[in-house]
Amino acid sequence: MEPKIPKFSDAFLSLLRADFTTQWRNRRSVIMSLLLPVIILVSWKGLIDKLGGAFALSISMNIGLTAIGIMGYAISVSRDRDKGVFQRLRVTPIPTYFIMLSRLIVQLAMIALLTLFVFIVGYNYDKITLSPFGYTLTFITAFIGGGLYLGLGQLIVGLVKNSDTVNSTSRLVYIGFIILGVFGEFGLFGNALKSAIHWSPFGTVKTILSTSMEPASWNSQTTVALLATIIYAIVFSFLGIRWFKWESR
Amino acid sequence: MINNDHAPILEVAGLSVSYGSFQAVKEVSFTVKPAEIFGFLGPNGAGKTSTLSAIEGLLSPVSGKISIAGYDIHKQPLHAKANMGVQLQSTSFQPELTIREIIKLYSGIYGISLPDEKLQSILNDVKLEGAATKRFGQLSGGQQQRISLVIATIHDPTLVLLDEPTAGLDPQSRRQLWERIEAIREKGHAVLLTTHSMEEAEAVCDRIAIMDHGKVIAIDTPEALIELHKNDPNVISVSRKGKITLEDVFIGLTGRTVRS
Repeated sequence: MEPKIPKFSDAFLSLLRADFTTQWRNRRSVIMSLLLPVIILVSWKGLIDKLGGAFALSISMNIGLTAIGIMGYAISVSRDRDKGVFQRLRVTPIPTYFIMLSRLIVQLAMIALLTLFVFIVGYNYDKITLSPFGYTLTFITAFIGGGLYLGLGQLIVGLVKNSDTVNSTSRLVYIGFIILGVFGEFGLFGNALKSAIHWSPFGTVKTILSTSMEPASWNSQTTVALLATIIYAIVFSFLGIRWFKWESR
Repeated sequence: MINNDHAPILEVAGLSVSYGSFQAVKEVSFTVKPAEIFGFLGPNGAGKTSTLSAIEGLLSPVSGKISIAGYDIHKQPLHAKANMGVQLQSTSFQPELTIREIIKLYSGIYGISLPDEKLQSILNDVKLEGAATKRFGQLSGGQQQRISLVIATIHDPTLVLLDEPTAGLDPQSRRQLWERIEAIREKGHAVLLTTHSMEEAEAVCDRIAIMDHGKVIAIDTPEALIELHKNDPNVISVSRKGKITLEDVFIGLTGRTVRS
């Protein structure tokens, strides 16, 4: 009996194709990730002059990234874990990390799509333009910020086994991030909370995104925010992977 | 690693599985030979699923050795998994994918090229001609089991592991699935299945192991087990029809108490 180990590249491509198809069929989740950022850009049109284009773009992009990491990734992973999809894949001759890597690539594609979408709407509707370097840098920081939210999504599915609980927890965290992040930035909850929010995951991602759009304004605080974002992403991912169980029972 | 034709396809030796302080499987040993259908029986919580999960490589045992077609599941997991096909108890596939996409996913994972015509002929073979564009959840229980078996055997594995494959099926679907399981044996491949149905064990299994409290308490052909235990007072006391059946032996050996 000869072993029939498949070529890893073929196996991974099959997995990736299935995950992209699954994402495509989950249009509601895709639309939800893109809709709120667009609503913000459209409804803030009159405020762009006062707030600045970078502020509006970074807030809307930040909310989209939160939706991708916390709502999209965490909820789909917990649902598939609950249904036994992962266990079925784990009995096949592929390295286990392929299963998650394929899903992460789909989410990274979603981040790229969101970033592009926000740029296009911002340009066409709000007439917000960035320098070529600004666009490039924002693309890079969007992936770093997206990594933080994917890490947070991983932490949620690592901590919570039940898919219904993951569902409700993710929604609560998402709504909490939006309320505190958006309104906290305006100082509506006081200066102490404003400072806390500034250094929270939402705040550091917002800082690196908005500064990337105006690269000339990059300063030491932005560098610290970038480092904090990376540290948040690493810590969330490490704990989320460490505590993650492949089955919900 | 090349095996000879008579070597066991599955070897389990001294397997122990624990969940914290609870020992679910205690020093279990058995083999499954080529062209053999081996049944794994036991009351709920006896340790069948834990044993099966360890064989599938889904959990790490405390001790023991498991080899599939000569490959150690923990030292050479990919080789071992390439030689086995699995149908899990709660088989589930991504609900967004169609049957065609699910089959293509798994054939791709096993490195099997599957053009649409070949895929359709496989579906025709299992009487699911119109299922290609349906979602898994749209199929009946029997149809789902047939698709699960197609996927478990898509790479023609030497060992097929089936966890309660006929649970919840009507008699027609069950008979059809038995025929498909027997067809695997006819190819010279081995099947390990768990079941709560004594009728199924007697009808399709060449040998069975009865498991209770984490241990294998009996292992032989169904006929030999009935013969061996037909005079056991525990077995006679639970007999309902005068004639000793495999179910009488099973209940006689594992007790009347309902397990949770």
